[in-house]
Amino acid sequence: MAGDVNLEPEDLPEEELSEKGKVSAEEEPLEDAGPQDSELVLKAQQGDVHAFDVLVERYHDKIYGLTYNMTSNREDAEDLTQEVFVKAFEALPRFKGKSSFYTWVYRIAVNKTINYRKKRNRKRALSLDSFDQDIKLDDAYHEMTAKGSPLRNISLSELQKKLNEALQHLSEKHRTVVVLHDMQGIPHDEIAKMVGASVGTVRSRLFYARRQMQTELSEFMK
Amino acid sequence: MMDEKNTEEVTAQDPAEAMLQQLLHLKSFETPDPARMTRNKQNIMRQVRQAQSKQRKPLLDLLELNIPWFFAEPKYGIAALFVAFIGLQYAGMTARNSATNTGLYTTTSSVAAYQAQEVESAVVSNRYPNLPSNYQLFGEPQGDQTVVPAGFEYQNK
Repeated sequence: MAGDVNLEPEDLPEEELSEKGKVSAEEEPLEDAGPQDSELVLKAQQGDVHAFDVLVERYHDKIYGLTYNMTSNREDAEDLTQEVFVKAFEALPRFKGKSSFYTWVYRIAVNKTINYRKKRNRKRALSLDSFDQDIKLDDAYHEMTAKGSPLRNISLSELQKKLNEALQHLSEKHRTVVVLHDMQGIPHDEIAKMVGASVGTVRSRLFYARRQMQTELSEFMK
Repeated sequence: MMDEKNTEEVTAQDPAEAMLQQLLHLKSFETPDPARMTRNKQNIMRQVRQAQSKQRKPLLDLLELNIPWFFAEPKYGIAALFVAFIGLQYAGMTARNSATNTGLYTTTSSVAAYQAQEVESAVVSNRYPNLPSNYQLFGEPQGDQTVVPAGFEYQNK
């Protein structure tokens, strides 16, 4: 079922990749709620810090989500989020607007997170955000914890730990695409721009990352 | 844009894949502490302001920044004006002195001839000199003429 997860061909033929449904697809940042990003970026480039504050407010949670899911450590995620925005502000004069601010800042976040983890060879202990109580109202959760399900007898915290461990066992490249696509709902072409790879490579990485996750979480897959 | 892309996604068919998607979906219920997030945003904004203050400001901005200070602290402002006045006065004095400095207008050949005579000379004052006969003054240097700055006087012994 899971295939050989050690194989990492970067460009698998497209027909071999089955594109599955997305569960946590999120909308692109709401640019129509307030001034456009480009307008805010222009103001920030002219020295208007308040304009940059709006951008921080707009993208903070998404960047935190990315760094948190990449590290499974909330302290590291907070530090990284902070570094990403400061770096973005410092590099703003060099931002030419060839891509959207959103893609650009994500690219900074992905690079920063990967570099941060490379610097820390030793794996950090998990430090997880707690589950929202609304999870118990979720249909998917109900379905998974229904009678006969392997998840029935596992506590939420245990499940959370297993999930995060499985994610952390992925390579950086694979984890990046899983987080960006399956958790943040970013389409392949956007991810390709963010990670500097082709769409085919992104699909390929996603395919193998999912296979590896399935192997890691096989106890829940019965 | 993302919505469009997402609608293209086909729902999971493979049960294992579907289960994985559901498990990953549960991660979206991991929510950070709002107080920590607020603090994090505040830290970012503070750091951004610090980063901005480190950036070089245009001269106009500096003036704009300093003019209120001038009025807020008149004693320092007046002191600064006084120092500026002294500086200008000194610069003016130097320029005036340079203009009134005396010089010998002569030719290099006549200087050589004078030295060939082995006439002893000594500096006796810095007033306008009594020149030896072979030294000629010119209004404007011409040809190979040159100007020897002189704040001293040669005197034959």
